[in-house]
Amino acid sequence: MPEMTYLQAISDGLRQEMRRDKRVFVIGEDVGVYGGAFKVTLGFQEEFGSWRVIDAPLSETAIMGGATGAALMGLRPVAEMQFADFVSCAWDHLVTVAAKQRWRVGTPVPIVLRLPSGGGFSGGPFHSQNPESSFAHIPGLKCVCPSTPEDAKGLIISAIEDPSPVLFFEHKHLYRRIKGEVPEERYTVPIGKARIHHEGTDATVVTWGAMVYTAEEASSQVDASIEIVDLRSVMPWDKQAVLDSVRKTSKVLVLHEDTRTGGFGGEIAATIAEEAFEDLDAPVRRIAAPDTPVPFSPALEKAFIPQVDDVVRGLRELVEY
Amino acid sequence: MATGTAVDVVMPQMGVSVSEGTITKWLKQAGDQVEADETLLEISTDKVDTEVPSPASGVVTEILVPEGQTVDVGTVLARIGGEAPAAETAAAAPAPPEPQGERPEPDAAPSEPAPAPAAPEPAPAAAQAAPTPAEPDDATTNGKAFVSPVVARIAGEHGVDPSKVPGTGTGGRVTKRDILAFIEGGEQTSITAREPAEAVAAPAPAAPPPPAAPPAPAAPVPAAAPTPATVAGQEQAAPGAGETLEPMSAMRRGIAEHMRRSLDTSAHVTSAIEVDMTNVVGVRGKVKREFEQAYGVNPTYLAFVARATVDTLRDYPYVNGELRDGQIVTRTYVNLGFAVELADGKGLIVPVVKNAETLNLLGMAKGIADIAARARNKQLLPDDVAGGTFTITNPGGYGTFHGTPVISQPQAAILGTYAIVKRPWVITDHDGTDSIAIRSMMNLTLTYDHRLIDGALAGRFLRDLRERLQTWGESDY
Amino acid sequence: MAIARVAEPPGSLQDVREWGLDREDLLQMYRNMLITRGVEERGHILYRQGKIPGSFYTGRGNEASSVAVATAMRPDDVGAPLHRDMGVHITRGVEPWRIFAQYMGRADGPTRGRDGNVHMADVRLGLIAMVSHLPAMLPVAVGAALAFRIREEHRVAIAWTGEGAMARGDAHEGMNFAGVRRLPVVFICDNNQWAYSTPTHLEYAVDHLADRAAAYGFDGVVVDGTDILAVYREAKRAIEKARDGGGPTLIECQTLRMEGHAVHDDAFYVPKELFEQWAARDPLERFRSWLRSNAELADAEEEEIGSHVKRLLNDALQRAEESPQPDPAELLDGVYAAPEDLDTPHHK
Repeated sequence: MPEMTYLQAISDGLRQEMRRDKRVFVIGEDVGVYGGAFKVTLGFQEEFGSWRVIDAPLSETAIMGGATGAALMGLRPVAEMQFADFVSCAWDHLVTVAAKQRWRVGTPVPIVLRLPSGGGFSGGPFHSQNPESSFAHIPGLKCVCPSTPEDAKGLIISAIEDPSPVLFFEHKHLYRRIKGEVPEERYTVPIGKARIHHEGTDATVVTWGAMVYTAEEASSQVDASIEIVDLRSVMPWDKQAVLDSVRKTSKVLVLHEDTRTGGFGGEIAATIAEEAFEDLDAPVRRIAAPDTPVPFSPALEKAFIPQVDDVVRGLRELVEY
Repeated sequence: MATGTAVDVVMPQMGVSVSEGTITKWLKQAGDQVEADETLLEISTDKVDTEVPSPASGVVTEILVPEGQTVDVGTVLARIGGEAPAAETAAAAPAPPEPQGERPEPDAAPSEPAPAPAAPEPAPAAAQAAPTPAEPDDATTNGKAFVSPVVARIAGEHGVDPSKVPGTGTGGRVTKRDILAFIEGGEQTSITAREPAEAVAAPAPAAPPPPAAPPAPAAPVPAAAPTPATVAGQEQAAPGAGETLEPMSAMRRGIAEHMRRSLDTSAHVTSAIEVDMTNVVGVRGKVKREFEQAYGVNPTYLAFVARATVDTLRDYPYVNGELRDGQIVTRTYVNLGFAVELADGKGLIVPVVKNAETLNLLGMAKGIADIAARARNKQLLPDDVAGGTFTITNPGGYGTFHGTPVISQPQAAILGTYAIVKRPWVITDHDGTDSIAIRSMMNLTLTYDHRLIDGALAGRFLRDLRERLQTWGESDY
Repeated sequence: MAIARVAEPPGSLQDVREWGLDREDLLQMYRNMLITRGVEERGHILYRQGKIPGSFYTGRGNEASSVAVATAMRPDDVGAPLHRDMGVHITRGVEPWRIFAQYMGRADGPTRGRDGNVHMADVRLGLIAMVSHLPAMLPVAVGAALAFRIREEHRVAIAWTGEGAMARGDAHEGMNFAGVRRLPVVFICDNNQWAYSTPTHLEYAVDHLADRAAAYGFDGVVVDGTDILAVYREAKRAIEKARDGGGPTLIECQTLRMEGHAVHDDAFYVPKELFEQWAARDPLERFRSWLRSNAELADAEEEEIGSHVKRLLNDALQRAEESPQPDPAELLDGVYAAPEDLDTPHHK
């Protein structure tokens, strides 16, 4: 199996689908000649032409609305927001049109929206956000957040195949930092299924995206057996996998990079309280970013994004409880 | 098309935010003839003034709201009845009732909350889940005023007093690991711990409590396994060669959860008895034609068994009872659940015949037929699967002669009925002479929660039930 | 300074024939206008009888424009009509009883009670269901045109908007993108002069909204929206031009919203004289009189058409009232699409 970066795996999955399925096309800002701000679609326009790798004007509304219209006509658009933060400009089309169309009038909108998200490199308030919770709250949208190259490829293919709108949150901090073996052939990873990143018996960390690696590093510094559940999909989320792990360890820490209040961790914690109360040996803990915009200065950003030390502290308190 | 039935004229909603309107003028009076779509009255709302066209043709039979009065949107203002032909608007009810509040519940399987285990020392103040609980104030105990939910559950299941368990958690709190180690170490104090609970159980059962039973023999309760092994570690991404994966339906998930929880909750024990059904077979043969022709219902063997079971349950209230919050619940009524398999093995549902103690054989047969038909046609209402106090499951249709069903929580027992087969059987006549006869035999099992029901009690229940069935007379309806 | 071309009024039956309409087509257009108005009038009555929940909107004054544009479309063209464009649904073949069922929130409405009003579309008839955020449908229609361009199909998408919705960014982004890529899309702007209670001078500062087309690099046309033949001719030209690769056109159809924004609104803010002035240009009455003068429409035939429409609507109403209430047990169905949902004409 070849080793690929997280970014190469996304690119590989997308290219394979475009070769296999003529209905798939890419639309976004600077995705063509330039190959995308992060070079995920580098070389695509040469291979697939300018009508399947479409450089759009700076118009998130037209990109999302256009992708919706093309999907209604039977194509499989893969739209890109240059940064996940700019999805706010496309909110109406995602939330008002695409999310509700199947339920209201029976016409599915099979689109994928790629969202380079996450911080850790001084991107500041407008190039660092993790807006998955906002969209997980919208009935009709699916949100996936892969953490490994293998999952990134399998999930982008699943997302393209899926008949519903899927938001594909790809974490910028993982793009070139994370490498792993990725099967060459086409495969899918089911949306809505978690993955046990690391098995353990004393406490569970439920997380996704880049925080999987923060949890991994933290658990190696704690003298206890920690299970890490990588959700992979935030909506629909694998409740059963989380509850199974809770029943096993009885102690849970929910970790995410998004801000705390109204973050998806709250939903997970509430579900555990409702459905696994009698299995709990400690209160569910949440570690998340504070309720502020994402700061620019490295000193401030470090205080904002949950760090390994924060998770170590949280795990110790949980294990000792 | 004539307006045979009265048609209501209602206050229309003139705008999304409008909740009421005022009647400014009635253009027709009671007794007047009105045509459909002819203006009947004028109304005024805070957004607009408008005329209200009549919803039907006919005579205005009643005017219910006078001019000048302000009423809520949807209020009936007048009624139109009479024989005049209705116009094309037809006489549909203008404001059909809103669907009743129940939201569709994705989990169709009956699943009541598990009874909360009795935490021996509930201390509300300690429920606040602070990372650093207060220091223990009494060095002679293990110091914790608070036990976590999982520890409380394990303590309840094993009759362990958590204050006797050495705690290693923060502030000396008993952790799950502590209590499991304590139980595995043979420190179980179940007998003494249970005694107070039984004493508490005595007050005010509606029926006389059963005679005290001798201490139950050690039942084959599985070893303490409060957290069943899970498959959390398995990645479920791809099927292996020759395998296919399919998602669990909501009902299947509900069943799975309920079955697992039931086994985790109740101490399941099963007793079986053989019943000579020859009498019942005879009686059924006699009443079958009458039941079917006069009432359109088949007097199934299940109906006979159910009828006899209800009578027997009234003598054994614990079997019809429940353990709830450390207390024993008994009842003056029997809500009898029947496990019904859905088509194509899609699942199992347990609809309930309410107040079964009021039903005779005919009523029981009708009740069973009704819920079974509605279960198959997916017409059960949420209320139909709730509130059962005892359940009968009938796998005998497939010829099985024995089984150990799982108790439907939070009930105390479940009766299994099995195939009726003709068997050579030794019978003793009035003179005491033994002979071998061909009899219609059926096995019954009672699976019961040994926490509440002792083996001897279960045995007596089955004996009495057998007696009722074997001596069924033609007039015993 | 006006930039857009102002369309000339139509001529004789001979002219009309040259645009591809024979007498039967004209009578069908007239019938569709009658059904359109009839459906909305019946709906208004149903609403006041308390049989339609929520709110209720009509397109009185816009029947000519909506029927004309839909008549100019080919069967495999698609469109996203808005709430004043009932004539598009009628012309494309949506059965009136299903519209009444939709109004009343019944199980047989196209949205099965999940949405109300004109928030519906039959995808098999080439229609895309609108949302309340009206200009949002412009980029969606542009996306449909993009799909046709990618697949090199000779199909055209029609995007409807009102003059009110033209103030939103969606309109700009959609038109700009369509202009840049010369996509096969025609924008129909029904200028009915009032966005709820806001008059045109508070909505835009150009002479005509169609003037904006020049800024996007395509043609703009202003046409009398109460003249069904004039709108038909301009729509036909624009649609065929788009089909031939000539890019988008913005057609501004001028009319007046002859009722309030919705039924609860008595439009007190619209000057009475304006209503009187436009009432004299009622699109139905204009076309009827043109047919009588130019196409030999006589009393008997007119009577026959009228009674046919009345019968159709009466039957539709009765059938709709017999439609059951939607089943709350199905509320959760279809939040996410299933693979079999893709079995539509467009996805095949």
